[in-house]
Amino acid sequence: MSSKTTRLLAVAVLLMGMNAGNAFAKDMFYYIGYGMVQVIDGDKDAIVADIPVDGWLRESDFSADRQFLYVTAKRHLIHKIDLGEQRVVSTIDVSSDGWDRFIYGFDLAPDGKSAFVNLVSRSTQKGQAVAAAPVLAQIDLEDGRILRSIEVPWGSVALVSVNNASSIYVIGKDIVRVDVSAEEMKLVDTFPMFDKQWNILPLWDNTRDNGGVFMANYYTPEFMGLLSIDTGSGEISDIRLDGAPVFAYSVIRSPDKKKVYAVMDELIVIDLESRSYEAVLPIPGGTHYAINVSSDGGKVYVSGGGSTTIVYDAKSLKPIKVLQMEVDGMDFRRLPF
Amino acid sequence: MKKNRPIQALNEKARAIQSLAEGEQATVEALQEGPPAMPVGCTTIFDTGWETNPRPTYPVGNCQSSAKDFHGCAGDCWWPAQVPDGLTNHEDFDKQCPNVARDWRVLKYD
Repeated sequence: MSSKTTRLLAVAVLLMGMNAGNAFAKDMFYYIGYGMVQVIDGDKDAIVADIPVDGWLRESDFSADRQFLYVTAKRHLIHKIDLGEQRVVSTIDVSSDGWDRFIYGFDLAPDGKSAFVNLVSRSTQKGQAVAAAPVLAQIDLEDGRILRSIEVPWGSVALVSVNNASSIYVIGKDIVRVDVSAEEMKLVDTFPMFDKQWNILPLWDNTRDNGGVFMANYYTPEFMGLLSIDTGSGEISDIRLDGAPVFAYSVIRSPDKKKVYAVMDELIVIDLESRSYEAVLPIPGGTHYAINVSSDGGKVYVSGGGSTTIVYDAKSLKPIKVLQMEVDGMDFRRLPF
Repeated sequence: MKKNRPIQALNEKARAIQSLAEGEQATVEALQEGPPAMPVGCTTIFDTGWETNPRPTYPVGNCQSSAKDFHGCAGDCWWPAQVPDGLTNHEDFDKQCPNVARDWRVLKYD
């Protein structure tokens, strides 16, 4: 047995032991920060590890075996973090051949060896700036090589893999569905948003944390709504919320699927049955970008957009702990064991 | 005054600048005039910046506090005139000041 396997088993046994007697999974949270990923033990709500990384982080995705966390940095680096060893084990750069490429949307492919990225590219030719059309590309995670690509609309910022990764939804002004099941990728469908006056900022992709459902809030001049994409069926649905819109950066559904929590300057609780705002509570300390919930639904976490993470009791909506993080953050991901 | 000229030079310096532009051919196009129709480099994202939407009650305006939004705006160049441009000129801006509330005094960029 290799030393790496031994270490991973040790981590797994430790986590299982800590979870003894608990009907719910043990949660580990990963604070996606600036030059650092911080690890939070969800039982103690305590920071248990700091993982140095290079650059300001944006997207993140866990490998299917839960051994690795991939994070994008500076919009052109992809770091692979070994969660057992708690360190970066490899880094690739998608910029090459004289082209600056920027990642806006990242989704691991099921083969574990490649990933889908939305790339915006620029270069200079004869002293003139050149911008290439944005593409959805599948890249090799060993060296960043583009394996295949297809042109997609400008302004896309998020990718959602659906139907066992046979299609990728590219989210921007509209949602375009790209069939990636065959060798040649094909743009096959468009779900309109821009013409419906939707304004959306889907930078916080918590699909895995959210039970396999991508969810983001959007705004029209009249109301706030919730866009959701079921990654199993590929179904796109939206919920129009009653009442004056409350501004939120990101949202997540409660494990019982009855509520949605949203965050920006307030912690917002949305009742899905009545499609209305149940509570809107100003957050001590102000704006946060990211929101997550414990696997048992008992705690809500607001984080990022500064250096604090606040733990709320989901029932009373009272803050029960404030974690002072080492760095400012962008996202707060949950991985149950 | 010519009605088809929206800006008119009023002083010597302005007239000098105007004379430099005489006969000049267009070298750039406004982003809203046809493809690509979206900014490239900085601000590659479509968004109107809803943090700035006025609200009738608390909180009105930007993020609370603005420092909370500093890194989020800087990295992707949401406000390139006000914060470091993380895509072109200040890629490693965050290393000086990874925690704005704590480190803002040491932040230096041109």
